Amino acid sequence: MTETIIKTENLTKTYSGSNVKAVDNLNIEIMKGEIYGLLGPNGAGKTTTISMLSTRVAPSGGKAIVAGYDIIKDSLKVRKVIGVVPQDLTTDEDLSGYENLMMVASFYDVNKNKAKEKAAQLLRLVDLEEAANKHVKTYSGGMRKRLELIVGLINEPEILFLDEPTLGLDVQTRSQMWKYIRDIQEKLDVTIILTSHYLDEIDALSSRVTIIDHGKVLVTGTSEELKAKLKGDIIMMTFKTQEEAEKIKEFPNLVDVKDNGPKSVRLKVQDSDRELPNVIEFISKNQLSLTRMTVQKPSLDDVFLEYTGKGIRDAEGGGEFRQTMFNMRRLRR
Amino acid sequence: MSGLLPLTSREFKKWYRNPISLVTGLIQPFFWIALFGSAFAGLADLSGASNSIIEGAPNYITFILGGVLTITGLFTAMFTGVNLIFDRRLGTLGRFLIAPIKRSSIVFSKIFSAIARIIIQVAILIGAALVLPDGLRFAHGFTLFDVGVLIAAVLMISFIFASIFNLIAIRITQPNSLFGILNLINLPLLFTSTAMFPPDLMAGWIRTVAKYNPVSWSADSIRTVIINGSLTSSQMSQLGIWLLALFVLAVALVLLTYFLSEKGIRE
Ligand SMILES: Nc1ncnc2c1ncn2[C@@H]1O[C@H](COP(=O)(O)OP(=O)(O)OP(=O)(O)O)[C@@H](O)[C@H]1O
Ligand SMILES: [Mg+2]
Repeated sequence: MTETIIKTENLTKTYSGSNVKAVDNLNIEIMKGEIYGLLGPNGAGKTTTISMLSTRVAPSGGKAIVAGYDIIKDSLKVRKVIGVVPQDLTTDEDLSGYENLMMVASFYDVNKNKAKEKAAQLLRLVDLEEAANKHVKTYSGGMRKRLELIVGLINEPEILFLDEPTLGLDVQTRSQMWKYIRDIQEKLDVTIILTSHYLDEIDALSSRVTIIDHGKVLVTGTSEELKAKLKGDIIMMTFKTQEEAEKIKEFPNLVDVKDNGPKSVRLKVQDSDRELPNVIEFISKNQLSLTRMTVQKPSLDDVFLEYTGKGIRDAEGGGEFRQTMFNMRRLRR
Repeated sequence: MSGLLPLTSREFKKWYRNPISLVTGLIQPFFWIALFGSAFAGLADLSGASNSIIEGAPNYITFILGGVLTITGLFTAMFTGVNLIFDRRLGTLGRFLIAPIKRSSIVFSKIFSAIARIIIQVAILIGAALVLPDGLRFAHGFTLFDVGVLIAAVLMISFIFASIFNLIAIRITQPNSLFGILNLINLPLLFTSTAMFPPDLMAGWIRTVAKYNPVSWSADSIRTVIINGSLTSSQMSQLGIWLLALFVLAVALVLLTYFLSEKGIRE
C-alpha cells in the first residue's frame, strides 16, 4: 500500500455563476488498494471533488493525477480506468439490471462474452441474480443502489468512486451495503474512494479518511489515528478541594483537560474504558478525594461537529478547533 | 463514434417497450392520411380546375402525400430533443457523461433512432395511402429515382429538425421549455409551408414565406416526382435546387450539432 494512485495539487473548483469555492486548494494523496474516505457535511465539496477526479467537471485551478494520468490532459484515459457510482441514480428504469450492465460495458468496449461473464459475477456478488432480468423500475431502493454499485465495476476499474453509496437506505440495508463494498475491495483488487456524511460508515469501511468542509481539508489520517482523536471520551470529576482538581491535570495520558466550574475538571482521554483504571490508580496514589465522577462517550454527531461545525463555522478560527488541531499534532508525535 | 451503437439500441428498446408510444407512433401516419385525405378531398372534386390547384395530381391524397411524409419526419424528429432532457432529469445522462464515449454519440443516438422510426412510419404511410380507396396513384409507376428523392427529402428534413431540437436540448434543462418552443413553432412552420395546401390557395405573403420554408422544399420535392413521373428539365432543375438547399442545411446543422455536443452537454 505504498504506491500513490491519486494525487491532487491545489485542486480548486468555483462553479460558474458562483463566487464560492466548492473545492478550495485541495491536496490529497490516495494509495493503491486502500478504501479512502471523504467525510464532510452537506455542501462540503465531496461530490465536486469526485466529479473533478472522475473528469465529469473541469477544475478551475490546480491539478490532479489519477492512475498516472492528468485529469485535464488525459481525461479520456482516466475515464477508462475508473468506475464511478454517482450520488444520484443513473441506471435506466426501462431496461433490466442486466441490460444496464451490458450497455455500460459496451461504452468501455468490453468484449461481449467477457461482459456477460463479468455481469453474472457482479450480479452474484450483490445478490441481484434473480432480479437481473427485471426492469429496474420494479427494484426497491436498496436493489437499485446495489445495481448502481456494480454498474460502476463492469469495466474492471482500477479505481472506484462511490459518492454516498448508502444515502437513503435503512440501517440494515446500509450494513449489507458495507459488506458488499468490503467484498468488492477484497475480491476485485480495486482502490475505493468513498464519500459519506456518516462517520460510522467511514469508520467501518475506510483505511484512511479526510474530513473536508467548505472545500478545504480539515484533517487527514488513518481510521485509527482519527478514531483515537475523534472518540476522545470525557471524564468529569469533582474533588473536595481546588488543589486536588489542579493535581488531576497532571494525569499523564490525557488528551485534553479543562476546568468545569469550581473544583471540577473535564478530562478528555482517548479511550475511557482503558484509561478509567489508570485514572483511579492516579487518584488513589495521590490520595485525592473524589466526590463525583461521570464518564461521557461523545456521540458520533458530537465528533463530527467538532471538526466541521463548532470549530470552523460558528467561531471563526475558534478555540475549540485550534485545540483539536493542536491535539492532533500531539497525537502524531 | 464509440457509444453510438449501444445508445441507439437503448433508444429502440425504450421505444418498443413503451406500448403507447409505439402504437401512437405507428398509427399517427394513418390518421394523417385518413384525416387530410377526407378533409380536403372536396378540393379535388370541385371542378376540373381543381386539378390544376393540386398541381395536376389525380386526387388529393396523391397531392398531400409529400406533405404528410414531410410532416411525419418533422414531428418525430422534433420530439427527439425531449428524450435528451428526460435523460438529464432521470440521471441516465450522468452515466453517459462519465463513460469514455464521445459526447456526440449521446445526441446522435437520439437522432438516428428517430430517423429509423421515421423510415418505418414512412413505409407504413405509403402502404396505407396505396390501399385507401381513391388513394395514392403514381403517374408512371414508381421508379427507383422516385424512391431515392422521397427518402432523401424526408431524411434531410428529419435531420434538420432533429438537429435543431437536440441543439436546444443540449442546453435546456426543463422539458416544459422545450415543449413551449415546440408548440410555438410546429403549427406556424406547417401552415407557412406548402405541405398541406396548394400555394394557389394561400395568401400572398404566406406564399412568399412558404417558398423559403424547408418544409415546403421537402414536400414539393416529393410531390414533384410522385405527380409528374418523368420530369421536364425545368422541373428537374427546381427539384435539384430544393434538394441541394435541404442537403446544405442538413449537413450544416448536423455538423453544428456534432461540434456543440462534443464541446459539452449540460449536466
Ligand atoms: N452545479 C453546481 N453549480 C453551482 N454550485 C454548485 C454546483 N454543484 C455544487 N455546487 C456548490 O458547491 C458546493 C459543494 O457542493 P458538493 O455537491 O460538492 O457538496 P457535497 O459535499 O457533495 O454535499 P452533499 O453531502 O450534500 O452531497 C456547494 O456549496 C454547492 O452548492
Ligand atoms: Mg455530494
